[in-house]
Amino acid sequence: MSMTDRFFKTREFRKLFRNKSAVIAMLVIAAYLFTALFVMCGGITRETCDTVVGQNKMPGFFIQQTPEQRYENATSKFLPMVQRALSRADQTAALADVRLGQERVVNKSAAQLQAIIDRAIELKNELNQSEDLDADSARLPQLKALEDQVAMLKAPLTGWSRLMQNASLVLGTDAQGRSIFLRGLYSIKIAIQIGLVTAAFCVLLGALLGAAAGYFGGWVDHGIVWVYTTFSSIPNLVLLVVLSYAFTDSEVKDTLLPVYIAFGATFWIGTCRVIRGETLKLKRMEYIQAAQTAGFSPFYILVRHVIPNTAHLMLINFSLLLIGAIKSEVILSFLGFGVKGQPSWGIMIRDAGNNGDVVSGFFWEIGTATALMFALVLAFNILSDALQDAFDPKHV
Amino acid sequence: MHMPEDRPILKVRNLRTRFKTDRGIVTAVDGVSFDLYPGETLGIVGESGCGKSVTNKSIIRLLPERVTQYDPDSNISYHGQNLLELSERQMRSIRGNDIGMIFQEPMTALNPVFTVGWQIEEALKYHSKLSSSRRRDKAIEMLRLVEMPNPVKRMDEYPHQLSGGMRQRVVIAMALCCSPEILIADEPTTALDVTIQSQILRLMDDLKKKTGTAIILITHDLGVVAQACDRVIVMYAGQVVETGGVRDIFHRPRHPYTRALLDSMPKPGAAGHQKRLPAIEGMVPSLFDLPVGCRFADRCQRRQPACEAALPELVDPETKSVTRLATGRTTPSVRCFYPLELRQTKERQV
Amino acid sequence: MFAYIIRKLVYNIPVYLAIVLLVMILLRQRDPVAGLLGKNADAKDYAAKKQELGLNRPFLIQYGDLLRSIFTFQFDEESWTQPGVTVGEKLVEAVPRSLALTVPALVLTSLISIVVAMISAFNRGRFLDKLLVFLAVLGMSISFLVYIIFGQYFGAYQLSQWLGRPVFSIHGYEPGLVNWAYYMLLPVLISVIVSMGYDTRFYRAVMVEETQRDYITTARAKGATRGKVMFVHMLRNAMIPIITRIMITLPFLVTGSILLEQFFGIPGMGYVLLSAIRNNDFPVVETFTAVFAGLFILSIIATDILYALFDPRVRLQ
Repeated sequence: MSMTDRFFKTREFRKLFRNKSAVIAMLVIAAYLFTALFVMCGGITRETCDTVVGQNKMPGFFIQQTPEQRYENATSKFLPMVQRALSRADQTAALADVRLGQERVVNKSAAQLQAIIDRAIELKNELNQSEDLDADSARLPQLKALEDQVAMLKAPLTGWSRLMQNASLVLGTDAQGRSIFLRGLYSIKIAIQIGLVTAAFCVLLGALLGAAAGYFGGWVDHGIVWVYTTFSSIPNLVLLVVLSYAFTDSEVKDTLLPVYIAFGATFWIGTCRVIRGETLKLKRMEYIQAAQTAGFSPFYILVRHVIPNTAHLMLINFSLLLIGAIKSEVILSFLGFGVKGQPSWGIMIRDAGNNGDVVSGFFWEIGTATALMFALVLAFNILSDALQDAFDPKHV
Repeated sequence: MHMPEDRPILKVRNLRTRFKTDRGIVTAVDGVSFDLYPGETLGIVGESGCGKSVTNKSIIRLLPERVTQYDPDSNISYHGQNLLELSERQMRSIRGNDIGMIFQEPMTALNPVFTVGWQIEEALKYHSKLSSSRRRDKAIEMLRLVEMPNPVKRMDEYPHQLSGGMRQRVVIAMALCCSPEILIADEPTTALDVTIQSQILRLMDDLKKKTGTAIILITHDLGVVAQACDRVIVMYAGQVVETGGVRDIFHRPRHPYTRALLDSMPKPGAAGHQKRLPAIEGMVPSLFDLPVGCRFADRCQRRQPACEAALPELVDPETKSVTRLATGRTTPSVRCFYPLELRQTKERQV
Repeated sequence: MFAYIIRKLVYNIPVYLAIVLLVMILLRQRDPVAGLLGKNADAKDYAAKKQELGLNRPFLIQYGDLLRSIFTFQFDEESWTQPGVTVGEKLVEAVPRSLALTVPALVLTSLISIVVAMISAFNRGRFLDKLLVFLAVLGMSISFLVYIIFGQYFGAYQLSQWLGRPVFSIHGYEPGLVNWAYYMLLPVLISVIVSMGYDTRFYRAVMVEETQRDYITTARAKGATRGKVMFVHMLRNAMIPIITRIMITLPFLVTGSILLEQFFGIPGMGYVLLSAIRNNDFPVVETFTAVFAGLFILSIIATDILYALFDPRVRLQ
């Protein structure tokens, strides 16, 4: 039996899988991982996220739009785009360039299009005379006619493109008319990526340093403790901000590298402490002392006996660090020191705040980011608890 | 030896203690009955998980209330009252006052952040109206009684400053400071070195003679039983399988399980000639999955078809009449269809 | 004990030197001069400014200067973005504002969560306990940002709309005790709600661990009431981890809550520090981090001393 087999078929794992909420949490996490994988394979690109798919701040699917919103929806974006294209010298090319999400201009002659637009403008002007469309039910037929005219400009959508257009509007649009749903999904990839990279790196680094410090003691221990005391004596958020500040002008500023470095420099400390303590405990165990007496090299004992026996702590810490990294990424991005140039939940929340969404009662963007993040973090919290219960029940 | 009176001080009848667990209800103690007489030491012997600790925690009612159920037929009679029916408040006035308890781990049984003196005085605080200076005197007297060296100085020390044997002395002093009628000692010597073990046992015996306290001694160690007990109850999988005087049990065991336990014990003096000690084959049955028949049948070398068909009753091994209750002082009982004959056990020497 | 404190202080000197060094190196990864001068500066202005800020001196000299000012408590370097205001003045101004927010928050959070944790541990396994644990996990899973944004929206904005008069400030700050509730109460409440989940869980775990100890059974076998067992035996033992947790958070009281101060426009330490980082105000960032780190190290030593007071097993050597 291989070592991993021995680890995964233990009583602890059976206990973990008996825990119903832990299994549900694992399924939720699997769904997130799958989405992240889908995004990573090119399912949703940065460009898709930046594409304007509809009017600004369009509410999501199940909200009945008010007449004012319908008017806004009909007259902004697509209608003026076609109008502008028709007035250009290279009419055909310009018309072919008009796109709003999956929407394209219908294949009709310029004259026919112009006629539709003229009729639409006429209706728009009539509707403009109304003070408040929401209170003016008499004008509803005109509004309907206007919407029909705009719809006639659009090429009918079929199959995949129709699905994509509906999907991208399902949770509404942000202040620039970009799809909240797609941006939210793309952020899953960012969160998972940052979480996994940070957690994997920090757990490995922390475990190695912690085990070395605990096992060798002496100057190795002093050195490692000195390093982590130094890092932990600076408030975490300040250190993160200063670290990512240091990279603001460098050529890597649009990648995730500054975030990785900031997290990598700070998040290993907790794991290192825990593993160091555990190693100190293991060192006193008979089987380690037996191995020492038998003359095995310290490195062999460390890798073969000490580190495998801290595997459960590494697993728990991995899960905890993932949560920490995802939550910190959101806060850092929100403060403008984290992810740049691509969507992330922190950026979505910041945009929603900056554009006065919350004050004007438009909760779609902040709500989507919050809900997606909440479900993921909750699932990881439940999983960490279950891991703790199964592997380290005595832990405080 | 202190001459025991003839009325039992504690009568346990048909004790059934059940626990609600995630996997269903288990009966940890299944119909245990016995009497305890003043001034005697009653040993309860068995492997871990046989129900001996649960029996005693039921007497003092220290099992987690929410998951514990006592059978309505069960009765623990102490001075005419059924302990199982007392309120928590009534029970509190009995605990530490009428029934004292000594625990297995002297390392963890003491609260690390309070001084030895404070912890001995605590029981007096609850059960007596002594002034604080009188309490202190009494606590020092108790430490002296348990032969603690330098008792006045020890009063203000913390448990971590004492050795294991000294801590167990403190625990005994704590249990005895209100002069209880009954002392329950749950594996009091298991965590101690052998030399300290016999010191503690001798101390308990001396104290019993001085105070007349009846002792229930729970142990898995037959050596301890031989040294300290007057009568013995052998438990297996939640039931009493054999009872009798300590001599009967050691010289004439009637139940195959008792016999096997004795065989697995090293015999002093015979060490050089001894072959491998025989261990009892197999495992104690799970309380979740008990057999219909005799609970020891699976591991028994004398197993017959009848053993697996029905559960034997406790009987008098001579007359074969059902005693049902392991009560009284002298009647030996055994829970076996085919008890060992005297002839078969004669060659045993202790 | 004094020998212990002195030895600890000496032991922590290298840590402290490294912290200051780390912050200085990190800050100097970027060139603050261009940012401070604006777009229209030429090379001469640039050189003059660099000279003025002392950035053209060798790094070690700058390091030594900073250390000297910290160890002599001379915080009289001027802020780069607010000429004429010294770093010390900024500190003295900002720290009380942060404390006005963080101290009540810590006290409230600790008291409430210890009580809730005891209730939860006392009813372990029952519905109430399960509910409280679930709520704590739920609370921990929501981002701090969301609490603040919605707290601000409902607590400050909607509430004053509804009542027709402002109850809590949405943004801004005025000093003075009379104004405390108006400016600080809402951020304090938000802070309490955010930390409740974490603290309750931690304290509950501590209590549950203590309830399983043998000495609890011993105490009950002596005839102690449940209350005595909980509040005398258990709490006294639980004090050790509780104190550690509170002591560890003490230095962070001074940093204030960066996010809360940012949102509610309270110019406390966190707010000042964050804008100093954004505006390349090196003296403020360096001094503040150094002061914080000093407090952090002192509080670790204080924790050890408190340990020895509460736990007879611990001796300072």
